[in-house]
Amino acid sequence: MELESIAEKLDKYFSRLERGKAAKIKPAHVEKVIAKLQAKQQLLQEELRAAEKPSKKSRLENKLVTVCEQVERAEWLLDKIGT
Amino acid sequence: MVKRLILPVILLVLLLGFWASIDFQEIAAGVAIFLFGMLMLEDGFKIFSGGFLERVLAKATGSVPKSIGFGIATTTIMQSSSLVSVLTISFLSAGLISLLAGVGIIFGANIGTTTGAWLVAGFGLKVKISAYALPMLAVSIVLVFQKSKYMRGAGLVLAGLGFLFLGIHHMKEGFEAFKDQFDLTRLAMTGLLGLVVYTLVGAAATVVMQSSHATLVLIITALASNQISYENALALAIGANIGTTITAILGALTANFQGKRLALAHFIFNLVTAGVALVFISPIRMSVDYISAVVGIPDTDFALKLAVFHTIFNVLGVVLMLPALRQLIAFLERTIIQPEEDLSQPKYLSEAVDEFPQTIQIAMRREVLHLYDNAVELIVHGLNLHRKDIFKTRDIAATVAASRTPYEFDIDERYEHRIKTLYSAIVEFATRVGAKDMPSDVVEDIYTMRDVAGRIVHAVKSVKHLRRNATHYTEREQGVITELYNGLRTEIGRILVEIRKLELADEDDRSGLWLDQERIQVERDAHDTNNTIEALIRDRQINASMATSFLNDSNYAYAAMRDLLEAARAYYIETEDAMAEVERILALEEDELGDFARGARAIEQESQSL
Repeated sequence: MELESIAEKLDKYFSRLERGKAAKIKPAHVEKVIAKLQAKQQLLQEELRAAEKPSKKSRLENKLVTVCEQVERAEWLLDKIGT
Repeated sequence: MVKRLILPVILLVLLLGFWASIDFQEIAAGVAIFLFGMLMLEDGFKIFSGGFLERVLAKATGSVPKSIGFGIATTTIMQSSSLVSVLTISFLSAGLISLLAGVGIIFGANIGTTTGAWLVAGFGLKVKISAYALPMLAVSIVLVFQKSKYMRGAGLVLAGLGFLFLGIHHMKEGFEAFKDQFDLTRLAMTGLLGLVVYTLVGAAATVVMQSSHATLVLIITALASNQISYENALALAIGANIGTTITAILGALTANFQGKRLALAHFIFNLVTAGVALVFISPIRMSVDYISAVVGIPDTDFALKLAVFHTIFNVLGVVLMLPALRQLIAFLERTIIQPEEDLSQPKYLSEAVDEFPQTIQIAMRREVLHLYDNAVELIVHGLNLHRKDIFKTRDIAATVAASRTPYEFDIDERYEHRIKTLYSAIVEFATRVGAKDMPSDVVEDIYTMRDVAGRIVHAVKSVKHLRRNATHYTEREQGVITELYNGLRTEIGRILVEIRKLELADEDDRSGLWLDQERIQVERDAHDTNNTIEALIRDRQINASMATSFLNDSNYAYAAMRDLLEAARAYYIETEDAMAEVERILALEEDELGDFARGARAIEQESQSL
């Protein structure tokens, strides 16, 4: 999982926050985004169950991998914001 | 001709008045200061209208009683039914409220405006309000020079009130002195003639001053100084109610058909109310006397009695018109017909929405969506596909492969007509908003939407370039090259379907991050294209000429896909600042997309080898 890039973006966000140029992220905000990603995860899983063509299945599996990565990134962010 | 004469005539009358009487100068200056105060009050409230007012307006117009209540409350607070009318027309034009709600607000504003008469008659004439005006002005200027926009807004509101009070003071003083030199009561007329003449004078005075409020204050101060008779004052107040509709009519000139319907409703309402008041003036006068006696208003306090009269006839108007509200709406819809929808014309960007930050943002977002709808039609038809097929199918690739018949239309003409005109209107609107004194977050959102529109236009242009070869290689089966072009058509179709899913999803469930998976797929496909083409040339399945065409066209296709995805991400990014920050941090950057694409390919190869 590539976390350097979001760690860098998080640093930039904190410096903007210090300067009063960004809104404060609360854990609830990140949790809401995680819920949205999980909603997508669920939709993809349903589509995957209904898919018949191998190409479509493989495409949906790739998408699921990406969403899982996104959820992991969001959980990492939640951890950083929460501490 | 008449229009050109109005200004010189007004100036001439003023000059003659100044020459004839020094007290007339004081009265005229009082009116001017009062109107200046109203302008400041409007400007102050506009600063606050960035969020609170619009949020309340959108929520508080769910039913007719709520709309009327909203009209009463806002007009009482802002002391300007004109501002409330213009605001309502603006919201109606932006499609934020219904015509029924708009008419309800106008009804309420007519009741709310009566509080002005009470304020002047009950407070302005009984207390030395200039004693309040001067400190208010001094404090307000300190606030106006503050950095915070809300402080500035509060300063303008306070200054506005200060000038209103000062204006009333000068009018009062002017009339007090004026009566010593010239007795206006000599011009008093009784009977029907007086009623008609003074009603017309009241209407004309309000048209000139663009404020029934100012006219009413003038009437009350003149009445308090015994410069006009009570009977004529009543007729003047009725006339002021007719004259005030001119502000809404002027505001509606630049509005869409809904705004024009509302202005007509305002005119009809005020005209009917005035008509009823004129016809039943005697019983209304009697009820004024009765109510005044009940609440303890002295029989000789004509100023307060005028306030009672003003309230009674406006409330009566609402009571009479309410049962006929649905019929009124039907009449308005019949009289001002909704123009046939012209997809090439902007639907939401009119000058009527220019005034308020929230209507500007919403109108811009809706117009960009309108542009996107036109663009989707053009892109899909440009690729010889049909929207209903693409959005309905469970197998996009199969639907695309089966869709071979060229869709006959002039793509350049359609681009000029449905895309370029709208895009020009969007750019012009953004420029206009950028030049205004708007909150920075609003301007930023408008510029983001302008850029979204730019991306959409680029996507359409890319498809225009792609169309000739896509048609040539897919209208009949030509082997591998047909498959390749069908692949591009399918990918674009998939992107449109994914964006549509986002559009249809519940606002609380969707996230622009959903599109990251499509972004990875696009980069992966784009990266694989060169390798695929090289292999096909080596195997002699396509010739070099076909390969060159396809490589060029695939560049156009992937550019279109990237533009569509970026446009949708920017459009659907969270609107709440903190949530948008989270999405920005989590979104994949351009350089990460390649890494993710390679990761996905490795997983795929691994699963194939098992």
